Amino acid sequence: MIDTVQTASLTEVFSTKAGTIFQSDAERCWYVDFAGKFARFDYRCLLKLRKAVYHVNIEQKLLSSDKSPDVEIIFICACDHCYILTLIQIIAFKELLEGTFVMFELNHILHDRLGYFAA
Amino acid sequence: MKDLMRIKSLISNEIETLLNQQVKKEAHSSAIYLSMASWCNRNGYDFSSEYFFKQAEEERLHQLKIYKYILDMGGMSVSPEITNIKLEYNSFREVFEEALDQEISVTQSIKNIYARCLKEQDFVTMEFLNWFLKEQREEEYKARRALELFEVIGEEGTGRWQIDKHVGEIKYPPQA
Repeated sequence: MIDTVQTASLTEVFSTKAGTIFQSDAERCWYVDFAGKFARFDYRCLLKLRKAVYHVNIEQKLLSSDKSPDVEIIFICACDHCYILTLIQIIAFKELLEGTFVMFELNHILHDRLGYFAA
Repeated sequence: MKDLMRIKSLISNEIETLLNQQVKKEAHSSAIYLSMASWCNRNGYDFSSEYFFKQAEEERLHQLKIYKYILDMGGMSVSPEITNIKLEYNSFREVFEEALDQEISVTQSIKNIYARCLKEQDFVTMEFLNWFLKEQREEEYKARRALELFEVIGEEGTGRWQIDKHVGEIKYPPQA
């Protein structure tokens, strides 16, 4: 869980019912609060996490009739964290990440436009 | 909130993906040209074989140029996997027809990346791609000229021998 000292320097980027992603400007990293885990991700790892989650073929898993449990292991190379998620959690995680990257895009547009005004 | 994504990388994720796709395309071209060089050599077309060896080398340089650009801008270059390279051709002419097709496909692909850059106002990558657009003028010119030799000289008699001899002499005017 996030303690108050940590949240003081964190900015919420995007939040859903399932979790939240925060940004730390000072540390230049992101904190992902999801599936009972509060994990720190740097730039490369966050992109790798996004790629790994987007890569899961949800439709194929839903239609699959084999007896294997609907559990996916999200393992990211050269990253300290690993997620073991159910299909429902994968969908929720994907939604959270999609929203986060849209916010990054929006933030970029704002910086871009404000930069123009300042010039 | 700082724009951390922009701080880490000059190019957007979409442009990075497109450039990595282009790296793969150039590597694929290089491998195809090597295969063409091999076919020409096996069938006695020495000058054409040499021409395709040079083309393969050029495509490899294009690949590295884009590869390094992605890294320089803070992105992640992906070393591509190349499969399905054709080994046999039905005729000498078919080799050159496919070489032109290959160049046209590369030009189209660069145009697509340029269009995306324009949409994103990524002028830095646009400026980088200008070199490639100029290079494609030359590549398509050479491929088209080579194919035209088949019309001008004709394949009858010693025609193919003549065509092979002239392929190595195709030059793009430097002032163009």
